[in-house]
Amino acid sequence: MPVTTFTAPSTNLRPRLLLNCGLAVVLALVLGYVLLRPHGPGGSAGAAVPQSTQLESRTGVRFSRVAVVGDGGLVTLSYVVLDAEKASAFQADREHPPRLASEARHGGTQRASIMRAGHQMRAGQTYYFVYENTGGAIESGEQVTISYDGLSLEHVPVL
Amino acid sequence: MRNLTHHLAQRRYAAALVAGTLALGSLTLGARAEAAPTSEGLECLTDAHNTFSLTARDGYVSTPDGNSIYMWGYGPSSGSFQLPGPVLCVTAGTHVRVILHNTLVEPTSIVFPGQSGVTADGKPAQPQLTDTGSMTSLTQSADATGGSVTYEFTAGSPGTYLYESGTDVAKQVQMGLYGALVVRPAGHPAQANDRSDSAFDPDHEYVFLLSEVDPDLHLGVERGDPVDVAHSTARYFMINGRSMPDTLAPNHASWLPNQPYGAMVHIKPYDAQTNPHPALIRYLNAGSVNYPFHPHGSDERVVTQDGSALAGSGGQDLSYLKYDLDVEPGQSLDALMDWRDVEQWDPATNPIPTQLPAIQDQLLVGPDTWFSESGYLGKKGSLPTNITANNECGEYYHVAHSHALQQATNYGATFGGMMTVFRIDPPAGCPTS
Repeated sequence: MPVTTFTAPSTNLRPRLLLNCGLAVVLALVLGYVLLRPHGPGGSAGAAVPQSTQLESRTGVRFSRVAVVGDGGLVTLSYVVLDAEKASAFQADREHPPRLASEARHGGTQRASIMRAGHQMRAGQTYYFVYENTGGAIESGEQVTISYDGLSLEHVPVL
Repeated sequence: MRNLTHHLAQRRYAAALVAGTLALGSLTLGARAEAAPTSEGLECLTDAHNTFSLTARDGYVSTPDGNSIYMWGYGPSSGSFQLPGPVLCVTAGTHVRVILHNTLVEPTSIVFPGQSGVTADGKPAQPQLTDTGSMTSLTQSADATGGSVTYEFTAGSPGTYLYESGTDVAKQVQMGLYGALVVRPAGHPAQANDRSDSAFDPDHEYVFLLSEVDPDLHLGVERGDPVDVAHSTARYFMINGRSMPDTLAPNHASWLPNQPYGAMVHIKPYDAQTNPHPALIRYLNAGSVNYPFHPHGSDERVVTQDGSALAGSGGQDLSYLKYDLDVEPGQSLDALMDWRDVEQWDPATNPIPTQLPAIQDQLLVGPDTWFSESGYLGKKGSLPTNITANNECGEYYHVAHSHALQQATNYGATFGGMMTVFRIDPPAGCPTS
């Protein structure tokens, strides 16, 4: 009659046990990392923003970041001043702010507000616009095209 | 029989493997950050045994004008440099242990203003003096480059407290060695203090830790030059280690890896049935001057100051409504905030019985506005083409900022610094959020 008993593991299980213990440690570390690591919205911070010599020559600025903020309701567009004189004119052109358009969907925004116009802009310094994000026109993780005065900068990642 | 035994043994080891993995995983976790209910809300660091391991490190923070500033900060020992330190959340009357590890090039420490009976490595925490009587630290410190010290205390009355360096205080706190300690009432975690009228919505709890930075002083420390703290001039002003517009960004925004906490209040209108409790905003001042923090559009009710419920000796309610919260250096204020749609204006059933004011009265400054283009919450109208707006679905944005206006700039550039917005959504929310 067969009898079911629990016995000590045979010696040929020990290497596997050691392997399993090692795996357990690795799994625990991975689990700990996954649960503890900051979950940063917007994907990689290192996603490169493309550059356009034409656009930079026209505006005097280099766009450096597009990010969805305000719990989804706002978008910030940051730019670095390359040529203070051109940048001042660019910033003062309040009736024609750069347009941000989603490349994945019909949607975009052109309603920019603060930063306040009239700054004495300094080359190398970063300034920003805040846009409304009506109806979630721009989404984190996608790419947008920035358009200004007939020029465009495509494939700008949205953080 | 052998196969069965072998199979059962394998199953038993598989179970042991899973159990071991989970056990090791839980050991690995220790104190853990609880995700905030909203993208910018309070993120508590909690631990079942109230044991927190913090490490003083150096690192860099970003400012919105493109600057990168050398800082010091307390971060979880399992993590990396961050500013400010994590928000430690405990319950009143419980034992708390904070282990400080120091990687900085000079000794540092932590003091817990408002907590009594603090010990350091088992001895009463007390000022440290040289043989000639000069004080070197307000409390026992961890030696430079590798020292550690363990502080213990019983959490005091409910409220919000700073924890900060007690060593070379003016310099080290300016460098960023500060964080917030939240003490919750025992049995009532959704109250600001022991009074039931301090109840708040735990899904809308915020910390606004206010501070300032003199970048020249930080550069001097980075270079190892002597610094003159008494003559420093702050150029950056921060909420939770960020300046406007980074204050609007969510917690753990990827482009702010060392500044993990946002600073934007996001609520819906008060409703007795569906939204009866206010938000709670815990203000702290880790700087050296007053920060007259001024939320537009709504008063806030201050219910706790420096961990003391505002109540008379007979239990009278001494809380007060304030339109400008003067947060003094080292002080904390806990304030309840809600927004009530008192008039219930509706374009169809209850229109505003007057001509809406000229658009310039709705503007922030110049041709900028957070106005929804309509006076009705949840409605959007049309604006003249020269007017620009920031609005998603007819929600309200109330700007909130230091009313010492030089503190609302980034190195003098308006708008920036100690500024954010309080966002009020229609009762049904925004379609996309």
